[in-house]
Amino acid sequence: MKRIAIIVLASGLLGCEDPIDVTLEEAEPVLVVDAWINNKPELQIIKLSMAQPYFDSSLPPPVSGATVVVSSSANETFIFEERNTPGDYVWDPSTSANGIGEIETEYQLQIEVNDEIYVSISQINRVPTIDSIKFTFKEELNQFQPEGYYGEFVSADPRGEGDTYWIKTFKNGIYQNRPFDLTIAYDAGFSQGGLIDGVVFIQPLQDSVNPLNEDLDEIVPYEIGDSLYVEIHSITNDAFFFLQELQIQTQRDGGFDEIFAEPFENVPSNIINADENGEDIIGYFNVAAVSGSGRKLTE
Amino acid sequence: MKITFLSLLLSLFSIQALFGQKVSLNGYVKDVSNGEALIGATVLVKEIAGGTTANVYGYYSVTLPPGTYTVEFSYIGYNSVVKTIDLTTNRRLDVELKTEATELDEIVVLGEDEEANVTSVEMSVSKLDAKTIQKIPAFLGEVDVLRSIQLLPGVSSVGEGSSGFNVRGGNVGQNLVLLDDAPVYNSSHLFGFFSVFNPDAVKDVKLIKGGVPANYGGRLSSILDVRMKEGNSKKLEVSGGVGTVFSRLAVQGPLKKDKASFLVAGRRSYVDILAAPFTGDATLYFYDLTTKVNYNLDEKNRLFLSGYFGRDVFRFDERQGFDWGNLTGTLRWNHLFKDRLFSNFSFFVSTYDYGFAFGENDLDKFDWESRILTYTFKPYFNYFINTNNELLIGGESTLYDFKPAEAVAVSDGLVTDISLDEKWSIENALYIDNTQKVNNKLTLKYGLRFSSFHYFGVDSVYNYETIEPGFRQQQTFFRSFDNNEIIKSYYTWEPRASVKYQIGKGSVKASYMRTAQYIHLVSNTAASTPIDVWTPSTNNIEPQIGDQWALGYFRNFGRGNDIEASIEGYYRDNRNQVEYVRGADIFLNEFLEGELIAGDGRAYGLEFSVKKNKGDLTGWISYTLGRSELKVDGINRNEWYPTRFDQTHNLKVFGNYQLNDRTSFSANFTYVSGAPVTAPTLRFVQQGMVAGYDPLESRNNLRIPATHRLDLSMIIQMKRIKKGKERKNKDELVLSLYNVYGRRNPFSVFFSQDQGAVNLGSPVETEATRFSIVGAPVPSISYNFKF
Repeated sequence: MKRIAIIVLASGLLGCEDPIDVTLEEAEPVLVVDAWINNKPELQIIKLSMAQPYFDSSLPPPVSGATVVVSSSANETFIFEERNTPGDYVWDPSTSANGIGEIETEYQLQIEVNDEIYVSISQINRVPTIDSIKFTFKEELNQFQPEGYYGEFVSADPRGEGDTYWIKTFKNGIYQNRPFDLTIAYDAGFSQGGLIDGVVFIQPLQDSVNPLNEDLDEIVPYEIGDSLYVEIHSITNDAFFFLQELQIQTQRDGGFDEIFAEPFENVPSNIINADENGEDIIGYFNVAAVSGSGRKLTE
Repeated sequence: MKITFLSLLLSLFSIQALFGQKVSLNGYVKDVSNGEALIGATVLVKEIAGGTTANVYGYYSVTLPPGTYTVEFSYIGYNSVVKTIDLTTNRRLDVELKTEATELDEIVVLGEDEEANVTSVEMSVSKLDAKTIQKIPAFLGEVDVLRSIQLLPGVSSVGEGSSGFNVRGGNVGQNLVLLDDAPVYNSSHLFGFFSVFNPDAVKDVKLIKGGVPANYGGRLSSILDVRMKEGNSKKLEVSGGVGTVFSRLAVQGPLKKDKASFLVAGRRSYVDILAAPFTGDATLYFYDLTTKVNYNLDEKNRLFLSGYFGRDVFRFDERQGFDWGNLTGTLRWNHLFKDRLFSNFSFFVSTYDYGFAFGENDLDKFDWESRILTYTFKPYFNYFINTNNELLIGGESTLYDFKPAEAVAVSDGLVTDISLDEKWSIENALYIDNTQKVNNKLTLKYGLRFSSFHYFGVDSVYNYETIEPGFRQQQTFFRSFDNNEIIKSYYTWEPRASVKYQIGKGSVKASYMRTAQYIHLVSNTAASTPIDVWTPSTNNIEPQIGDQWALGYFRNFGRGNDIEASIEGYYRDNRNQVEYVRGADIFLNEFLEGELIAGDGRAYGLEFSVKKNKGDLTGWISYTLGRSELKVDGINRNEWYPTRFDQTHNLKVFGNYQLNDRTSFSANFTYVSGAPVTAPTLRFVQQGMVAGYDPLESRNNLRIPATHRLDLSMIIQMKRIKKGKERKNKDELVLSLYNVYGRRNPFSVFFSQDQGAVNLGSPVETEATRFSIVGAPVPSISYNFKF
């Protein structure tokens, strides 16, 4: 829903945006951990880097020489090793006897670096299968929804409140990772308080697999020959709130939507220093179960 | 409480018996041309060098020993009338005043009433009449009550594009906005560019920022009391205008001469201009209709019926869109029990709602509506005890019906109702307020308001517990309640007091007030928007309580004392200010209360005002130096932080120059210090997305650039005489230029990554962006007429 509202409101009347120079307060850099792993049979990577001053748009400096271990409540241990790329700690399921997978297994992340120990806990939650991917030809509906083929995924949230998901779209094999492509669901709806449980994902979520154009003011329908692949990643409730905050921060294209924008706030991390008085850390650890389905649009 | 109220009433009548040997002079003060009551007209009895002022219905009453008196009736902008009255018994005297510059046939004295700002006990009050509002250069040439109010000391807004207004560092929801007594829950059209008040229908606007009399309550910061015209009771009058954004038309006239009159005023904005960026079916417009009928039943009884209906509509095709609007209705009965006991009984209804509709067809859609609906009964007694005491006594009872969300989501034909429970409450208040003139120098005004609030109507009630301050609270089931069972009650004593002491040509005034606010406007956006939600105090959300102290010096200067000057200082101390947890989700959330936390607020400042009311050059300079802060557990390291509308300097200059009979120029300059926003200091990457981070957890730590703007306008009266004959209609052309030097005043500054796709392994750009709503000069032309 927000997405639609945004494209409508973005078409402001007299409004304008310009980049401006502002002087921000200075702060000591902080260790950053990017640990979103899943049960797919592919390389799993945990990245360690340092936070940068806000306007420093270079690649973040990697942090090498850490020990990164994930262990499960089923007493399995997964060692993530730094290989060719500094700061990237990798575990390869194909060379391992055990795997990430059993639903409701708890996982613990432990990182040792620069004499500090950081820990985090996550749980792998259930994920619904995607029954099918559909394309429907639609007439032009309005300026934002032109004529063409619109994709949809059909899947139902299982009964029981509190399932949270990250829905990812791949168009022609390319992961759609612009800020406005970030789609998350709380049960079959947008948010926790919505209480839409145990049903097919609500329409705006199903429609989220239709990416916007570059100006973010129109949906680009699928064309014959295009393919659509959709993945649902189960995430923890806290990870949902983390991504919800990230959405608020990253989905900013100005225009009248700014009138409805929420103020900046720190996104809540779930990785902590084992020593309360130790160095600060930011980042997220989530273990996802993934389901996926794809289809090519033919005549 | 009811018994107490009755006994108070009874004692009122016995007080009257005490003064029984005196007689009273009473009646209405009106405008001779259209019969409109003149609110606050001065009645001065020369022999006792004292008198009274007409109340909001234009009624006055002075009690005097029998004798012969010289009484002067005056009102700003009108010629005074002096009458010699032989008063032996109670006497009814309705007086009609003429506007200045018309022919005079009675004795005229000018200038006396201009002292009112010094002599009255009232402080922290700003008044604007329709005539002044008409002269202020306006956005797109359309004059507006709320935009005009923002030119007065102590009043501001977050910027163009924000709904509502802020008074003395209070938030938008802390203002009680009244239209003919009925509360208006959202006072803005088109995101604050215009207000819901149609200037054609507005008679008088009074903003009370401090020392609020006990007859008003329910909000912490201010009372904006907008009174509608009654309608011309002498002759049919049609007025209107054609402008760049909308057209207006108002019709008023007598239903029965001097007995009954009506007013109907409507506005409709044009689709074309505002929807220019859209094509096809997309539309953005608003309309409103303001109506009033009043009837003088007899000398002692008058009836008023007034209503407002307006909507903003933003549709992007036939099925999908967003709309919002208010509806109010007021029925009032003025009754004179005795010449000295004026009463009014009001019953009013007010509702505000908004709705979203998305989806292509009935099988796939999402509809969501939210509203607040209230019914109020308000008896009010105005007792003119004697020339030195005027008593207000009354009560108020409001029934609230909150419907936070009525929503359905339909997916592939499967309907899911995601509506939230309705919530109900009752707010009651009783008050007594006396204005006592101790001597020529000292006037006191003191009162007490007792208010209560009862929350009910929810089945499943939860308690919320703080796990970590500043973060989402954990709900635990409390218990089930019956439909009419009270879940939680609150009671507040609200003392109010003001004092005026005359020193030489000036006067010193001081005031104190305690106010309680039981309903809260919930909004976690940077500025107020049409989708903010009103929510009641509950077992988890406590009422907001505020104390305010103000001290001021008032003095008039110049020839005929036509320059009014004042300086006022205020300090406000507020409890239970609503804040939000991190990542608060306030829409469609059954557990909304878990997202709301409370803290302390304080605001203080100095307001300077110089105003010239007479002559070819009129206008004012107002300047406010202010601070508005909050302190909430878990936010900003538990330290005080500025609110989003904390603006250190706020300077407004308005001038109007009457070049000749037909042409006048106006200019308006605004300078407001940059408001604060929250900014990150560091950035970090998660899954290819860049987030900002502030290890210090500061709130509102960066000041955005200051806002300043110059607006100009020229009003040209069309020729009144054509071919030697006087034309029947009066008309004028208004040319205006808003934001003359095209400054891009910031609405906000936001921080974000580039919106484009990210290639794996490449860096992502981050930047700060200034967002301005109006980034260029905006010229406009409009034509107004009246006949």
